[in-house]
Amino acid sequence: MSTGMPPWRSGSAVVTANPKVAGHAAPAYIPVQARRSLATPTPSKSAVSQPPSVPSQPSTTEASARKRVEWPAPVRMYVQRCFAPENQVASVSRQEMEAKLKSVITAAAERDELHTTNWDVLPLPQVMVQNERNRILASPNVSAWGAASTASPRKVDTAANEASKKRKSTEYHGDASGAPPWRQTNSQVPFEDRISYSPTDKRQRIDLKNPSKSKANLEMRKKRFEDPRARYGSSPSSRGESPTPSAANQGPVVGRCQDLEKNYFRLTSAPNPDTVRPLPVLMKTLDLLKKKWKKDNNYGYICDQFKSLRQDLTVQHIRNEFTVSVYEIHARIALEKGDLGEYNQCQTQLRALYARQLGGHPTEFKAYRILYFIHTRNWTAMNDALADLTAADKRDLAVKHALDVRSALALGNYHRFFQLYLDTPNMGAYLMDMFVDRERLSALAVICKAYKPDVKIRFITEELGFESDEQSARFVLDHTSEEFLQEKDGTVRLLTGAKASQLLEAAKSSAHRIVDIKGQI
Amino acid sequence: MESVFDDFKEGQRLGSGPYLAAALTPVASPRCPSRLQSFYYFSNAAHISQDLRHSLFHIGGVKIPKQEQTWWTDVFTAYWKAVGEIVRIEERSSRASWAKVFDAWKEVANILNRAYSSSIFQAWTIPCLYVVGKYLRVFAIKADTELSSQDDVGFDRFQEDVTAEFDKSAKLEEAARVINRMFTLCLTDRAPIDESRKWGIYNTINLLFKTYFKLNSVGLSKSLLRALDASSADLPDLESYPKSHIVTFKYYVGVIHFLDENYTEAEEHLTYAWKLCHRNAMRNKELILMYLVPCHIVTTHTLPSKHLLAQFPRLEKLFRPLCNCIRKGDLVGFDAAMSAGEEEFVKRRIYLPLERGRDIALRNLFRKVFIAGGFEEPKEGQPPIRRTRIPVGEFAAALRIGTHADAKSRVDIDEVECLLSNLIYKGLMKGYIARERGMVVLSKGGAFPGTGV
Repeated sequence: MSTGMPPWRSGSAVVTANPKVAGHAAPAYIPVQARRSLATPTPSKSAVSQPPSVPSQPSTTEASARKRVEWPAPVRMYVQRCFAPENQVASVSRQEMEAKLKSVITAAAERDELHTTNWDVLPLPQVMVQNERNRILASPNVSAWGAASTASPRKVDTAANEASKKRKSTEYHGDASGAPPWRQTNSQVPFEDRISYSPTDKRQRIDLKNPSKSKANLEMRKKRFEDPRARYGSSPSSRGESPTPSAANQGPVVGRCQDLEKNYFRLTSAPNPDTVRPLPVLMKTLDLLKKKWKKDNNYGYICDQFKSLRQDLTVQHIRNEFTVSVYEIHARIALEKGDLGEYNQCQTQLRALYARQLGGHPTEFKAYRILYFIHTRNWTAMNDALADLTAADKRDLAVKHALDVRSALALGNYHRFFQLYLDTPNMGAYLMDMFVDRERLSALAVICKAYKPDVKIRFITEELGFESDEQSARFVLDHTSEEFLQEKDGTVRLLTGAKASQLLEAAKSSAHRIVDIKGQI
Repeated sequence: MESVFDDFKEGQRLGSGPYLAAALTPVASPRCPSRLQSFYYFSNAAHISQDLRHSLFHIGGVKIPKQEQTWWTDVFTAYWKAVGEIVRIEERSSRASWAKVFDAWKEVANILNRAYSSSIFQAWTIPCLYVVGKYLRVFAIKADTELSSQDDVGFDRFQEDVTAEFDKSAKLEEAARVINRMFTLCLTDRAPIDESRKWGIYNTINLLFKTYFKLNSVGLSKSLLRALDASSADLPDLESYPKSHIVTFKYYVGVIHFLDENYTEAEEHLTYAWKLCHRNAMRNKELILMYLVPCHIVTTHTLPSKHLLAQFPRLEKLFRPLCNCIRKGDLVGFDAAMSAGEEEFVKRRIYLPLERGRDIALRNLFRKVFIAGGFEEPKEGQPPIRRTRIPVGEFAAALRIGTHADAKSRVDIDEVECLLSNLIYKGLMKGYIARERGMVVLSKGGAFPGTGV
């Protein structure tokens, strides 16, 4: 049984309960060593505890060998020489040496050469390790290098990897615990010690006087090695300093899709050319949509189709007369249906497109824009819209009309306002419809305060642009109460005065408030 | 060469922010006309950092913590580079460009911002931020002008460029972001108020207002005001801030309200600014009046006095014709003055409120009708009473005169009534219209409030 086993193993086999483990020498042995190396991480400690591990193994086996196998004296001498301080080689760690020693003795025992080997001339294990390394370095077969590499350098590697990972995620806020090895080296050998000043330079003295300061300086230096953009380009809490539009980097897409119709889908990634329609297809699409709009008048469908049409134009960077006409048509349809959200999107785009002189109907839409700002009561934007107008624009019928509307409202001239309302060019009436009731309330409030004791309903109908006396009576009733409408001398009259005025004032301010909210969208 | 370092050391020695900021001012001083050149040529790119460290801290020795020294060196290194770009412009070098100046200067601003956000520099040095922010805006505007003039040359070729029209003020927008950061750095400082950067909020917010106004995005200013309002509890009283900060701040807040047609609030803030403004700061006073005068016309229906306008030739030219027409009730003259000044008014954003002056002109015209109407038959022992029942036709006739209508043009009685009812509604006239009889019945006591009749 003892044959084919290391001599110390055969002794310990008696102690070991499981013969299988005992019989499998190497695995049973390695855990012992591994645990030891973990328990003593500092080299100084392991130097103090000289005899453990491998020496202890021989010593325990020595005890059993005294009974069974006597360790030959040369072997014991050899082991002692291995651990002698004067024989240590700096480049070979103790663990490597012990591992090698173990394998040498095991091999000798297995071959039954314990007694035949000339232990006195056999190279020490540390020397063997060194020779092996040199051989590997000399040979081109580098794959052996991995096997030769030992635990401790690998540990340093992984530590470095972890540290570098940390640096990326935390930017320059590296805290002390996460400091990678090269920084620890730096703190041991201060930066100041590694640079040479001229002997007359005062700086050296100052640096040496203030070790803590130089440490702080080191922090700064450390940071300087970080990503330079992270340091100066933008601070961590601020948003991106100069966001580059991703679309500009990618360049325009060229579509390949041949379908005329396509549902709108808001892009969440780069557009796929297979689903984007090129310009000739889009032109046919527009014709189709125009026909469908005339025939079916289905706004939900048309709006969706126009949005996808606009999207295809945008992703392909198509900006020409066709683009203008698409936006104009969509804007008009949206106006007709009172979809101010879509209208406003188109209007914003159109303003940019007109600035490029791509044709279309700039004055028509400049007029709409003024009316739109009247509706949303956005005076700051109104001022900008006025500033945009050229002298030629102001001579245009539609623009002039819009300006007159604005001026009439600004001065409270409802008489003029409703005359203009009944004579609105293009599709401006759709926009004016949105705020005409609001202005009717304002006008009624004025009338109720200024006239006494009453006014004929006919007067209201004419002044406030109602289509019939019934309509104006209905409007008055909707916002006041029946008591203010009375029939006298065969005509219906609105009783003016403080009470009616009060009611109308309240209705007016609530109507204006609602639009305030709308205007913010 | 000494000037930059002298300013820095003097600032550090006295703990004086303005001196320190003077070191970072990228213009020649009268005392030292070649200040920038000599600073730039005192070193080169390879040695600038060392040389700066030496000149800033080791000659004439200012005791500054090491870490802070490093930051100042970084700031001045960036400053040196920016000065280099400015010197190239002054020397008309072929490589010179304002865009480069701006980029280099932005680097100075960014380093400064970082130094403050890590609380390396103390709060008293905050004027550095002011001066760097101020010139960041100046250089951005110059860079944008330069870039857009280059664009014009190749406009036809680059017409397809998607971003062209949005880049018109790209540099200024960049500058706005950096200045916004400065403002946030000041606003969010939690240090005790004595050593807090909070003293810098008004200067930086003013700079930001100025930038946003230039960018035509006044809306962004309102969100700044909201941010300021949200932390108003931690802020010292307005009175404890430098007056110069407050005057500008109140001016901008006033104008922001003004643009929203909140004339009452606008007047309040503008009046504050007007009263606090240094009496010799004529340009600032002019700016304030530019908005305060229209405000006053809208809220109180009063016109600026001759004496007031006489001090400000530009305002005199702008407002005088209009005021004269309003006073006389000359509607045609008013409309002409409005359209003559329209471009300037719209540019200054005062067109809309000035337009309301027409009501006052109209009131003055109708007041003449009332006065021309004379008195009622005198009754025994009672003071004479003006005729208070006036046919609408008389007002219509006045309007014909006021609008210089010729014989053929028709005056719409309904429109005259509409104008009358508006004046009554707005409180410019007291009385009522009796439509059936075609009469206006005016109040016996003060038919035109505030005008003496």
